[in-house]
Amino acid sequence: MRRKARRWLDLAPLLVLIGAAAAGVALTKGPAGRLDPAQAWCAPSLARPLGCGEAGVDLAALLSVAELRAIALAVVVALAGFAVGTPLGAAAAIVRGRFERAVERVCDLVQAFPSFILALAVMSAVRAPSRVALGAVFALTAWAPFARLALAQTRVLRDAAFVEAAVALGRGPLGVLARHVVPNLLGVVAVQLGSTGAAIVISEAALAFVGLGPPGGVSLGGVLDQGVAAMLRAPHVLLVGSAAVFATSAALLVAGRAAEG
Amino acid sequence: MAAAVRVARVLAARAIESLLVVLVLASLVFFALRLLPGDPAALVLGDEASPVELARVRALLHLDEPLATQYARFLRGLVTLDLGDSFRRPGTSAMARVGEAVVPTAVLAAIAVTIGALFGVAGAVAASGPWLPSRARVWVERMFVGVAAVPLVAFAPVATWALAARWRLVPLPGDPEAGAAGLLFASTLLAVPLGAHVGRVARAALAEVARAQFLVTAKAKGMAPLRVWVVHALPAVAGPVVTTVATQLGALLGGAVVLERMFERRGLGTLILEAYATRDLPVLEGAVVAAGLLFALAQAVGSATHAAIDPRARGAGP
Repeated sequence: MRRKARRWLDLAPLLVLIGAAAAGVALTKGPAGRLDPAQAWCAPSLARPLGCGEAGVDLAALLSVAELRAIALAVVVALAGFAVGTPLGAAAAIVRGRFERAVERVCDLVQAFPSFILALAVMSAVRAPSRVALGAVFALTAWAPFARLALAQTRVLRDAAFVEAAVALGRGPLGVLARHVVPNLLGVVAVQLGSTGAAIVISEAALAFVGLGPPGGVSLGGVLDQGVAAMLRAPHVLLVGSAAVFATSAALLVAGRAAEG
Repeated sequence: MAAAVRVARVLAARAIESLLVVLVLASLVFFALRLLPGDPAALVLGDEASPVELARVRALLHLDEPLATQYARFLRGLVTLDLGDSFRRPGTSAMARVGEAVVPTAVLAAIAVTIGALFGVAGAVAASGPWLPSRARVWVERMFVGVAAVPLVAFAPVATWALAARWRLVPLPGDPEAGAAGLLFASTLLAVPLGAHVGRVARAALAEVARAQFLVTAKAKGMAPLRVWVVHALPAVAGPVVTTVATQLGALLGGAVVLERMFERRGLGTLILEAYATRDLPVLEGAVVAAGLLFALAQAVGSATHAAIDPRARGAGP
């Protein structure tokens, strides 16, 4: 019972954030990127709770949409990495030998890979950076931490009595993997979902900040970029953008703990 | 086996892996530019280019050759450090422009690694030794965890606004007159997340080492606490610290790009962005390869440092 309550507590920041963003989207009249040059850089007020940015774009509306999209991207890519990495790492530890060592080294290499430079390079090769392209680039490296964790955990599990029993009863390696090993390491590996999700939100913001974001500028990093440009005139843009990036990544990080079994 | 041979073997294996990273990164850029939808020549010239112009650019960038020939030429260019002329500045080789940009980024990253490692390790020692009350030690640890969770892209703009624009305590690093103080400020920003990661790992490693026999012996011999930690405990945590720095290097390079863009500093990051904006393909390829090389070189230096500091990394072992 207590564990269940803690689980909801861990998920709470993310749910609150999603709720607030959804409410922000629902309350917006017209498209989120609507410009109102008369209101450019205006300070927060009752009508515009977070103030306005460049050319009078309503920051509350813009951030709500950007937030939802960033979370969606993070969740999709992290789940994809989880789905690919976990069986790979588990299989490596079951097969043992060269394959195991190779997977281990490749994971270490990919984890240390300058992934932001990679994303920068690939994004600069596509004509118009889209969210699908962003997701694909992040997925190139997202699987590695999951595989590494699954490998380490399976090393422990493969010597467990129930696994040996399953082998003795004549189950093939695939059956052992699917029925006995993978279900037992899901809890441990799923914890990584949070930190991978947070890293994706941060990378997306950083890419948009340096100008390689999705078209239309609807991104957390786009707001930060506006904020830096108008640092002296309208510091609220910078503070709001920065708080949004931090809150989103922190909420995902904390939500990852809910998976802890 | 002699210790020197062992170290040499480790370093050789590392060097091969590093070169592999550079090769993969370079190949990804090469193929992304050529295989993803969208003609690179059209990317360079824009949509309204005439077919004659497109054909000229294709020939200039060797895009009209078979892919395998292009790849072979590209690999040869990597080895000989000659990727052709910058497309936007004819007469200047792409590698010359990249070489100019590597230095400021390398300096920025090197100072950041130094500051981050020093403060991280110092904090970890402070949190492990007998000097602070136990409550303060817990707070140092919590601070490491908290700071490590704050992304650079979120706090660097705010810190810059507060320190440079609002209170004017430090010069804006983009200011041409900022000089050394500006560089130091930018490096410190970059060092904060690294320092927190290093501190967290070093603290955990020190807690492990604290129970080791050789520390008990050193204390029993009547050594001062600071000497015990610095002379005996620190070399033993060099491994985890170097590994942490190595795993954070990719993020550090990414952070350097963000800071260069924010402060409009010259460097690899701004060169990549400029090459992207002007579609200067040879420069773009060269800059990404250089970033990979910088990363690989730093990792190799890390391994060598580890072997030099920690007796266990070069001495006897299985």
